[in-house]
Amino acid sequence: MSLRVDLYEGARIAVLSLGLNRLRTLLTTLGIGIGVATLLCILGIVQGLNASFATQLSALGSSTLWVSKFPWVITGDKWWIYRNRKDFTLDDVQAIREQSRFAAAVAPEIGRGGSVSYGDRGLSRVRIIGSTGDYLTVSGFEIQSGRAITDADSEYRKNVVVIGADLVDTLFPHSDPIGAVIRLRDLPFEVVGTLVRRGKFLGESQDTSVIIPFRTFIADYGKRRGFEIGVAVENTDLLNQAEDELIGIIRRSRGTPPEAESDFEVNRSEQLAKTYQQLTAALYGVAIGVGGITLLVGGFGIMNIMLVSVRERTREIGVRRALGARRRTVIVQFLLEAVAVAAVGGAIGTIVGLAGAKLVASITPLAAAVDPSTVLFGVGFSSLVGLLFGIWPAARAAALDPVESLRWE
Amino acid sequence: MLIEMRDIERVYHLGRSEDVHALRGVSFGVERGEWVAIVGQSGSGKSTLMNIVGCLDTPTAGHYLLNGRDVAQLSDDDLSDIRNREIGFVFQTFQLLPRESALNNVELPLVYRGVKARERRQRAKAALRQVGLGDRMRHLPTELSGGQRQRVAVARALVSEPSLLLADEPTGNLDSATGEEIMRLFEQLHRQGHTLCLVTHEPRLAARCPRAIRLRDGCIVADGPGREVAFADLPDAARAAAPVTAPQDNAPRSAATRCP
Repeated sequence: MSLRVDLYEGARIAVLSLGLNRLRTLLTTLGIGIGVATLLCILGIVQGLNASFATQLSALGSSTLWVSKFPWVITGDKWWIYRNRKDFTLDDVQAIREQSRFAAAVAPEIGRGGSVSYGDRGLSRVRIIGSTGDYLTVSGFEIQSGRAITDADSEYRKNVVVIGADLVDTLFPHSDPIGAVIRLRDLPFEVVGTLVRRGKFLGESQDTSVIIPFRTFIADYGKRRGFEIGVAVENTDLLNQAEDELIGIIRRSRGTPPEAESDFEVNRSEQLAKTYQQLTAALYGVAIGVGGITLLVGGFGIMNIMLVSVRERTREIGVRRALGARRRTVIVQFLLEAVAVAAVGGAIGTIVGLAGAKLVASITPLAAAVDPSTVLFGVGFSSLVGLLFGIWPAARAAALDPVESLRWE
Repeated sequence: MLIEMRDIERVYHLGRSEDVHALRGVSFGVERGEWVAIVGQSGSGKSTLMNIVGCLDTPTAGHYLLNGRDVAQLSDDDLSDIRNREIGFVFQTFQLLPRESALNNVELPLVYRGVKARERRQRAKAALRQVGLGDRMRHLPTELSGGQRQRVAVARALVSEPSLLLADEPTGNLDSATGEEIMRLFEQLHRQGHTLCLVTHEPRLAARCPRAIRLRDGCIVADGPGREVAFADLPDAARAAAPVTAPQDNAPRSAATRCP
């Protein structure tokens, strides 16, 4: 008898016995189901985070190098070392503008928090950014209506502002913001433009920013904090050369001796991505650990119920053997039954897991998304667990002596 | 010759030193078309012999030629295939799969032979009609009477057109009327040319077979026309009627390992 026939007949018997032992199948399969659901739920959340992170990262501008006193990712307790480094000056900005062959746009960025009001409406914890005309290119922000801040605005220290989408919603629910005068930390600014909505990043709105001219910022709020310099590079393939060139320009501009280390950092979104990946790798590890243990427990549940099933059906095995079933036929029959039980669990777990991820997505700021391959993984992996834990019971069934099993009561 | 047994021995090892000689050198032959009864009390070795004839078990020593092929030394897979092709089993307890319809039960040997579904169905239906169950094909065993169940079992044994129909106490779980029904069915199959082997402890049934072999303590003590062999051993039958006290039954068994 061919293996194909074994498989076909085995599958038919498996489906039949699942139908007959519905409650038992369901209970047995619960372990596997919970394992798969846990896995899918966590993986769904991580995948959702990944997706929104990737989107946000591209909005940050993957082609922008950010020159700063601080590295974006600080390890250890070196914060004070970075804090005490020399601040940049507009001469550094000018040097980059003049000397860089790779830079497409260069803009300083200085920022602080504050509250904004218009009439009796207000919004606190707004991020106030001071910059120049190239800021949109460097930051990835886009203009929704009106115009952007220009170099001239900065030169003449105009009190003009471009506002984020959340501010438009809050301060101007019924009117056109362009031309209105709002108060930023109690100073009046004329709204000249609005920004395209960016959405949330790790649960935090990206649309509570306002952009004002750089020199206006310095004049009104001081420059104690220092600033970063964003450099947009035209060709992303040349980011490394651009970074080397940038380091050279700033060292020359500051007169750093050749043997001394650079006292500034060149950041790019890739670094954030790397740190983020390390973080999610840990999450994946936890998910796989928890899910793995649950699947293991579920696997033993399946093994147990299959051993019971073999015992219960000892006579059936005897009859099948008497009628000409080979050992392999019996093995395939019980293996397929174990796989079927596990696959049912996998399917239930998949549905619960997806529902769980959706629930997390709807009640928390975390975006959870599951791609189709994860579903395949859930069902496929639980089937594999069924197969592995079905081997021993199936082998025991096949090893039964036909004479003894026919006599079994 | 369909079955040729030469000096068949079967020893069961129980524990370290205790060996039970269930068969101690049994030789006989069965021609195609014969109807042979194997009779004996429980413990006589007839079940062991039946298991060996049915290729469910292999002898410890001796040769068993089925259709001229020595099956004593075959692998487990080969034995499975021989059971599938050469032997049709009918058991005392019917041994139908409880969750499968009569038709599916009858189809089973053909499934294991790899017969295509359409042909399988046709042959199974024909076999069920042959035993008079053409109108019960879709019934589950639990929906059938004892006699009907045994007829399903007979149909299942017949469907693969085996060389030998091996029936182990086929009327043991039936009332006498239904038992008679099954015996009539066997007589009919015998007339049609099937080779039958009936294992029983009832002299009354053995007497109806053209030939009977009587076993006692693992040895053949009589082999001849059913009517003679069935009732020849009256003291034996008397002992069977009065159970419990039969110490002499066990005494000689462990003494000799070979038949006289």
